[in-house]
Order: sequence, then C-alpha cells, then structure tokens
Amino acid sequence: MNSFRLTSQGNGILIKVVDLVKNFSNGQGEIPVLRKVNLQIHRGEMVAITGPSGSGKSTLLYILGLLLPPTRGDYWLGGENVLNLDRSAQAAFRRRRVGFVFQSCDLLENSNVYENLEFPLIYAGVNPRERPARIIAAIERVNLSHRLYHRANHLSGGERQRVAVARALVNHPDVILADEPTGQLDRRHGHLIMDHFQEISAEGDTSVVLVTHDPEMASRCTRIYPLRDGILYAPEK
Amino acid sequence: MRLDDLLRISIRQVYRYRRRYWGVVLAIALGVGAFTTMVTMGREVKKTFNQDLELIGGVTVIRSHFDNYHNLNNYKVMRPNWFHPPTLAALRQVSGVWEISPVAVRWTSCTWRRDSYSFQVMAVDETFWQVRSFWALTGRLFGLSEVIGRKREVVLGSRLAQRIFGHLDVAGEVIELEQDLYRVVGVVGGVTDMDLAHGAFIPITTFADRILGAQHPDRLYVRCVTWDDVEHVAKAIPMVVQANQPAEQLRVEVSWQALNQVKKVSWWIESFIYLAIFATLSLGGFGIWNVMMAAVRSRTREIGLKKAMGAEDRDILAQFITESLCLSLGAALIGIGLGRLLVELISYWLGSRPSEEIFFSCLGMGLFFAVVLGIGAGLYPSLQASRMEVVSATQYE
Repeated sequence: MNSFRLTSQGNGILIKVVDLVKNFSNGQGEIPVLRKVNLQIHRGEMVAITGPSGSGKSTLLYILGLLLPPTRGDYWLGGENVLNLDRSAQAAFRRRRVGFVFQSCDLLENSNVYENLEFPLIYAGVNPRERPARIIAAIERVNLSHRLYHRANHLSGGERQRVAVARALVNHPDVILADEPTGQLDRRHGHLIMDHFQEISAEGDTSVVLVTHDPEMASRCTRIYPLRDGILYAPEK
Repeated sequence: MRLDDLLRISIRQVYRYRRRYWGVVLAIALGVGAFTTMVTMGREVKKTFNQDLELIGGVTVIRSHFDNYHNLNNYKVMRPNWFHPPTLAALRQVSGVWEISPVAVRWTSCTWRRDSYSFQVMAVDETFWQVRSFWALTGRLFGLSEVIGRKREVVLGSRLAQRIFGHLDVAGEVIELEQDLYRVVGVVGGVTDMDLAHGAFIPITTFADRILGAQHPDRLYVRCVTWDDVEHVAKAIPMVVQANQPAEQLRVEVSWQALNQVKKVSWWIESFIYLAIFATLSLGGFGIWNVMMAAVRSRTREIGLKKAMGAEDRDILAQFITESLCLSLGAALIGIGLGRLLVELISYWLGSRPSEEIFFSCLGMGLFFAVVLGIGAGLYPSLQASRMEVVSATQYE
C-alpha cells in the first residue's frame, strides 16, 4: 500500500473504481442506481460528475467517501482497497483522507467558524497546540480570516460554503468530495467557490471530485464525467 | 477523541442550549437539595422534636429504678440498691444518651403557718429539669450552683403549691421541712404526672445532708437523643449497670407502645418525604431522557456531519453521554449548594449543627446518584445518536 502511495505522487492515480454497482431495495425488489461504474481520478485532478437528478451522482460521491457501502465492485484509494475497512477504519479514512462539502452549507449552527474548523482536527487527534495554525491557514485559503470568530448562522450563504471548503481542507485530505457545492449560491459566489477548488487542485496534492448539474461550473473542471441512469460515460473533456 | 476536548465540547454544548434544560436542572437540583437536607438534618430535626416531650409523649425518656420496696413486700432479705457514681458516669457515655438524672424519693411533711402537709419529696440534680422538659411556672428552678452549694431551696409541684398557699405565686415563701427552713424558689411547669405535681423538689446534695434517713438515688431518668436511640439505650442500661455494680432488682421502663406509635408516624413522614424526593429525581431522570432524545432528533444533521468529518460511533456516544452527565452533575452541584444553604438555615433556626461528615457523605451520594442518573437516562438517546447512518443523518430535515 505504502509503495503504491509513493509511486502515485504527482499525477499518479489516486482513486480507482472498478465495476461499482449500487442497488437500493424498495421492499419489492432491487433498484439499480449505479451500474458497473469505472472511474480513475489522478492526484491533483479536479473532476466533475454531472447528470440529471436521480442519476446516482450523489450516491457515487457517498460511496467514494465511504458514507454508503456499494453492492458490488472495488474501490482503491492510494492503492488501498478501502471497501474492506471496518466501521472504525472507515471513520479514520474519512477524517484523514477525505474532506466533504455538502450542498446545504452544513455548518454547526451554534458554533463559530473556528469551532467548525476545529472539529475535524479534534476527531483526527491533532495536538491542540497545532490546531490554531492549521485553522488559520485553512481559513486564509478562502479569504475569511476576518470571520473566524463569527457564529456560523451569522454568515451569508457564500461565506458559509467557503467555511465548508476550509473545513474540508483543514486535515490536508487526499480528496475533497463536494456534493452540489454551488447549488444554493448565486453565480458570483459559485465561481468564487470554484476558484478555491481550482487553487487547491492546482497545488497537486489534493484532488477534487464534485457533483453538479450546472454545466458552467462543470466546465471549470479538468474532466467531466456524465452519469445517466446509473451509467458513468467516458469523460467529455 | 481527547478527554479535555470531549469535556470542553460537551460543557459548551450544554451551556449553549441551557434554555432547553432549565426544567430538568431544576427538578434534579430540588431532588438532590431535598435529599441532602433530609439526610444531613434528619437527626437534628428529630432532636428538636425530642425537646418537645409533650409532642412525642415523653417516649425518649427511659425510667430505671431498683425495686427495693418490692424486695420488702416479698420478705426477701436483700440490701437496698442504688445507682453508684461510676455507673452514672458510664451511662453518660452510652451512645444515644443525651442526659441522665439520678433521683431519690421519700415521703415527708412540712409545716406552714402551723398547718402540716404530707407529700413526696424528690431529690434531684440540676439536669433533672432538662431531662424531663420541665420549666418554671412561676419563680425559678434551682441550678448547678444551688446543687453544689447545697442550698436549702425547694421547688413545688403546682398542686402542692395550691394546696399549701392557695395560689402559685409562691417564690420567696419559707416552709419548714424536716425541722429545717427552706426557701420556695418557684413552681415547676410542664408536669403531666400527677404524683410529681403533688410533690416537691430539693437539691440532691441538700437531701443527702439534711433529710434524716435519706436514701441514695435509686431512680434514674435517661433521656435519649432521638426516639431511634431508645431501644438500644434501654438494652444497654442493664449491661452498663452490671459492669459497674450489683444489678439485682433493676427495672427499666420504656413506653414501648407510645414509642412505636411515634416511630410509626415518623417512618410514614420520612417515607413520604423520601418518596417525594425519589419522584422529583425520577422526573429529572425522565426529563434528561426526554431532552436528550429531543436533542438527538434536532441535532441529527449535526451528528451526520460529525460522522462525515470522521467522528466514530464511540465519539458521538461519548459526547451525548458526557452532555447528559454534565447536565445531571451540574444540576446535582446546584442541588448540593441549595442543600448546604438549607442546612445552614435550619442549623441556625434549630441552634444545633450536624457533623460535616454527614454533609460530605451526602455530597458523595448526591454526585454518585447524578452520575447514575446521567448515564442511565442519557444512554439510550446516546446509543441512538451513535448508531445513526451518516447519509440519512445528513439528509434529515
């Protein structure tokens, strides 16, 4: 595993998904949501998965974040087959290797920005003395250091989503998984978020996988994978 | 998750949502406060009740005597027995004994304005009034200095004062008793025993000096601290006497029927109070369970989000359990503070303080109970929170 990670530095393959299938049961039978999805994402790449509602975009993203188990298939991240991990190891995977950004700007409402950014560090067991520097570095990436001690519910929608990006970044993950990150933002703020994602991926260490149905936002990614009726098609870009 | 992080986050969370928790905190604080006060002050309150012998029918006074007259009636040749000083000293050390008073009695007569009156004279010490809860109806009662000074002073029973003088305001009068002149210093009140109301009381030292053929004290009144002490003190008296002197013909009398009645009433009152405390604490426990269930529901997205950030099931479980514990322990601390305040107020009001050990053991019990309550009531909601699936939790509306 370690040898794979060493060789996969730079533009090596970070994520490899092979024949991934996800079926949901509705009590009367199985409904296929993802049908033999194959996907490769390189380190530092920014990938969009597009498609209409119900096409399985978010399901694929949740499987990549180990929030949902697939029905079948294989999923390697940095050379490790992460579908074999137990529940505790899956949590460790999420806190060390993945950062999430959700559509609905999910921040902890009664906590301030600093506290929101501190939670991933707490769960990752980062020493309290190291935390302020990492939080400040993350919040400066999204140009919101002046809002560090503001309550989450006192921020605008755009600011909240930028805080969510900073929170996803704070643990230096291998990949940021963003589910419709600009879906509730106006065009200007949407582009601002995409600017941040581009900067992050351009540095080469972190990949970004985002799910969107907005072609304009998707066009800013290095590759766009269309997903329709559970089938992931070859990249358009 | 580090312990300091866990505590910091949980305390912060409880503080931020404090308005939700006031009812629960109040219920637990009242329960713990009442429990602390009841246990700490229970004995002091009983002691105070004990001071009002009329209220409890004098059940805490044990009467003990040597049945010397019975010996004579049965034509047995036995030496009259009496309570020796070492016996009295040993009896004072028995746990649960508040005070003892030895008494000697004999029939005598007095003369006033050429009229002669026959009555029972009781030789008592200064503790007698306290042991029997007697007070001065008029004038005063003699005390330690009169006993030590072997003063010729006499306190009359109210019936005897009426008989001799026709009224009760008799302090300062002088009567002749066994050819000695005695100053009447007062009339004793609080007497329910008619024999005592018809008698007179003189210092036990004066009695020994001046009454011809005076006997040693063959009667003893033992007053217990509370009615709970009566049984074991009554059992201890014969053993203590036997250990220090001959104990033949010793009689120990307790008003068992009245004592049981008082204990029964006391038990019911205590039971109702403890039941009320238990009900209050149970309400607090259900309250915690309820608010934690509500918190888990209203914070479902937060739970999902934290899991997405990498929190393990045990992190979520620990956080909710710790919040529940913070709530119950915080409430218990407020309750203990409230209890301490009540203990101080009641101590001031009663004029007697319980030992600090009792309070600190209550403090320990209160905190222990709070921990049990916090974990017990918070466990199920915390388990529910920890077992949530991330996707359904993050999509919860």
